[in-house]
Amino acid sequence: MSILGGGIFKGMAVTLRNFVGSYFYRDRLVTNDYSWRPEDKLPQSIGDYPKEKGEQLRDTTTVTNYSRNFPMLLHDGGEPMDTVRCVACQICERECPPQCIYIEKSTEKKENAGGKPQFYPATFDIDVSVCMSCQICVEVCPFDAIVMNSQFELSTPNRFGGLLVRRDDLLKSNDYYHRIHPEEAAARDKRMADEKAAKEAKKKAAAEAAIKKAEEKAKAEAEAESKEEAGDKKEGAE
Amino acid sequence: MSEQIAFWMLSAIAVLGALVAVRKRNLIHGVFALMIFFAALSVLFLLLLAEFIAAVQILVYIGAVGILLLFAIMLTERVTGDDDRRMTSRGWFWGFAVAAAVFVILLLPVIQQLPSPEAAQTIDPSVKELGHKLMNPYVVTLEVLALLLTAALIGAVTAAQGVRMPKEEDSQE
Amino acid sequence: MSLDLIRDILIATVPLLVIFPTLFAFTTWLERKALARIQNRVGPDKVGVPLTRYGGRFSLFGLGQPLADGIKMLFKENIVPRGADRLFHLLAPILALIPAMLVLCFLPLEFPWTKSLLPVQAFLLDSAVIFFFAITGLNTLAVFMAGWASRNKYSLLGGMRAVAQMVSYEIPLVLSAVVVVMMVGSLNAAEIANAQAGWDWFVFTPWGLAAFVIFFIAALAETNRSPFDLPEAESEIIAGYFTEYSGFKFALFFLGEYIAIFAISGLAVTLFLGGGSGPGVAMNLVDQGLATERWVTVSAFPGLAVIWFLVKIFAIIAVMIWLRGTLPRLRVDQLMGFAWKFLLPLSILNIIVAGFAWHAQQQASGTVKAIIWVVCLLILYATAKGLDQLNRPNVRPREYKYAE
Repeated sequence: MSILGGGIFKGMAVTLRNFVGSYFYRDRLVTNDYSWRPEDKLPQSIGDYPKEKGEQLRDTTTVTNYSRNFPMLLHDGGEPMDTVRCVACQICERECPPQCIYIEKSTEKKENAGGKPQFYPATFDIDVSVCMSCQICVEVCPFDAIVMNSQFELSTPNRFGGLLVRRDDLLKSNDYYHRIHPEEAAARDKRMADEKAAKEAKKKAAAEAAIKKAEEKAKAEAEAESKEEAGDKKEGAE
Repeated sequence: MSEQIAFWMLSAIAVLGALVAVRKRNLIHGVFALMIFFAALSVLFLLLLAEFIAAVQILVYIGAVGILLLFAIMLTERVTGDDDRRMTSRGWFWGFAVAAAVFVILLLPVIQQLPSPEAAQTIDPSVKELGHKLMNPYVVTLEVLALLLTAALIGAVTAAQGVRMPKEEDSQE
Repeated sequence: MSLDLIRDILIATVPLLVIFPTLFAFTTWLERKALARIQNRVGPDKVGVPLTRYGGRFSLFGLGQPLADGIKMLFKENIVPRGADRLFHLLAPILALIPAMLVLCFLPLEFPWTKSLLPVQAFLLDSAVIFFFAITGLNTLAVFMAGWASRNKYSLLGGMRAVAQMVSYEIPLVLSAVVVVMMVGSLNAAEIANAQAGWDWFVFTPWGLAAFVIFFIAALAETNRSPFDLPEAESEIIAGYFTEYSGFKFALFFLGEYIAIFAISGLAVTLFLGGGSGPGVAMNLVDQGLATERWVTVSAFPGLAVIWFLVKIFAIIAVMIWLRGTLPRLRVDQLMGFAWKFLLPLSILNIIVAGFAWHAQQQASGTVKAIIWVVCLLILYATAKGLDQLNRPNVRPREYKYAE
C-alpha cells in the first residue's frame, strides 16, 4: 500500500532535483546566453554555435533517449521505398484518436525488404498540427513500421501545407531510429528477430510435421495396401 | 456628524442600487445592482456596530444568493433584455398601493412610538455574546435548524440525481 | 470624525497597500525564476540597472524585470471587444482587486508604528475570520463579471469554471478553518495567533495538520493556482476569463490574483503556522480598557513578528510555485470530485475528531495525550486513505478496435 499523496512527493523530488541541478551543472541548461558576445560574433548557422563558457550544443535529434514527438515511418536502409516496412494495412489510420493519419494503399504489390510481394503506402500523410503524440499508432502496428521521432523543430512559415508531413519526409532509416532511441530500437530489433526466429522455427516444425505426416500417411497407405493384398490373398484362398 | 454623512450616503447608494435592480431589463446588470444594494446594507450594519450581521450579509447574500442568481440566469435563455423597452403593466396602481400598505404596516410600531426614544436599551451585539447565546440557551434550535438544512441538502442531491436508468447500471458493470 | 482617527486609519492601512504590491513584484520575479530553474532554464536575467549595455554585468539576477513588465503593461493598448459590455469590462479588474486588498487588513500584522494607534485594525474584530471568508468570496463575482462582460466564449467558459470551482472549494476551506476556531474559541485573528505563541502551532497537531493540508489545497483552488488553474487553462480556453484583457486592466487582474494569494497564505499562517510567532517573539493580549482588546507583540527588535509572518507567507508561496512546476492541470470532473468526495468528508470528520480530542485533552495529560494524538492521526490517515481508495477511477487499459 502506497503512502497517500506519495506520487506528488515523488514528482516534487524530481522538480527539486532539476531546480538544484540547474545551478550546479551548466550542461543541464537548454538555453544559452549570447548577450556577452559582440554583434558580429553571434552564431550565423548551427555549426557556429560556440562551445565556450561551459555551453553545450544540443543536437535537436537527440534530446533524450525517451523523448517522443511525432511518428515516423521506418525502412531498413538503402532506397527508402524499396525497404519500407509499412504494408498500408491502415490499422493505425483507423485507431488514431484525432484521425491525423491519411493512407492510400498502392494498387499493385512490390517486393519489400523481406523479399515478399506486399502492398505499400502510395500516400502516407500525418497532420502534425492535429497529432497529439499519443503513440497509439506505434502500439497497434503489427509490422513495427511506425515509431516515434523526437525531432521537435518543426516550425514552418506555411500554415496549412507545412504541417502536413508527407510520406517521403516521414521515412527514416532504422539506423536513425537506433541513433535517437538506442535502447528502444535495440529492444524492438531483438523482439522482431525473436519473432522471426520463432516463426521460422514454427514453419520448420510445421514442415517437419508435414513431412512426418506424409511419411506416416505413406506408411499407413502401404500397410493398408499390404492388408488389402493380404485380404485379396485370403479371398483368393477362400 | 460623520456617521450621519456616512448613513445618508450609504442609504442613497442602497436605494439607487435597489431601483436599478428593479428597473434594468438586462438581468446581469440587475443582479450586480442588487449586490451593490446588499453591500451598502452590509456597511450600514457595520455602522450600527453589528459586525456579525454585516459579515453574514456579505457571506450569504452577496456570496451565496448572488452566485445562485447568476447561475439561474446563465441557465436560462435570452439573458440580456432590451434596455430601451419600457416596463409598463396594467394594474400598476394597485400593485403600488399594496406595496405601500405593506410598507406602512411594517413601520406601524415605529410610527406609534414617535418620537422615538434615544437608545432604548443597551444591547451587546458582539460575536462572543452571540456565540454564547447560540451554544447555551438556543443550542437545540441551532441543532434542529442544522438538521433541517442537512435534510434539504440531501433532498436536493436526491432530486438532482434523478431516477437511475437500468442502462447506466449495465454500462457500469 | 476626529482627525486623529483618520490619521491612525491611514497609518494602519497605507503600509499594507505599499508592502504587498511591492512583494507582488518580487514574487512574480521569484516565480519566473523558480519555474525556469525547474525546467532547466535561466529565467529573466537581463533587465537590471538601467543605462548599462545589455543590462551589463549589473543585471542583479534580472530583478528589474517586474518594473519593466509594469511599464510595458502601462503603455500597452487597452483593447475592448466590440460586443463587450464596456462598463463591466472596466469594473471587473477593479472589483477583482478590491476584495483582495480589503482582506489584507484581517491579517494580524503588528507593525512597529501601529502600537500607539487607536484600535482601528480590523483583525481585532471579533469576527475577523468570518469577514475574511465573506470578502474573499467576492472575488468570484469579479471573475464572473470579467468572463461575462468580454462577450467571448472562452471568457464565459473560464468565468463559469471559476465560479463553480470557487464555490465548491470554499466549503472545505471554511470547514478546515472551523477546527482552529473550535480550539481557540474565538474568531478574532489576533487571539488565534496569540493562542499559538511559542511553538504551539496548530499544524503540529493531527487535526491541525489535516486541516492545514485541506486548507492549503482549497486555497490553491480558491486562488486559481496550478494544478487547479482550470479557469485560465491556456491549452484549453486560451486564458479563460481574462482572454480579452490587455494592458493595465490585465495587470490589475494579475495584481489582484497575487494579492489574494498573499492574503490566503497569510490566513493559513494565522490559523495554522502561529502567526508572527517565532524565535525572539512573545505575544500577549494587553487590555487597555478600549472597545476591543489590544494585541501587542513583544519581540527582540521591533517588527520581528511581521518579518516572521512574511517569511512564513513566502514559505507557503514557495511551495505553491514548486507545485506549479510539478503538477499537471486537473480535469473538470476530477476537480469537482476531489472537492466534494474527498476534501468535504475529510474536513467534516476532522471537525468531529478535533471535538473529541479537545474534550479528551481537557482531563488527560502526558501519556494519555500522546495516545490521543496517535489515535487521531491514525483515524484521519485511514479515512483519507479509504476515501482515496473509494474515489479511484475505474481505469482500464485502452481497447483497440481494429488491431489484434
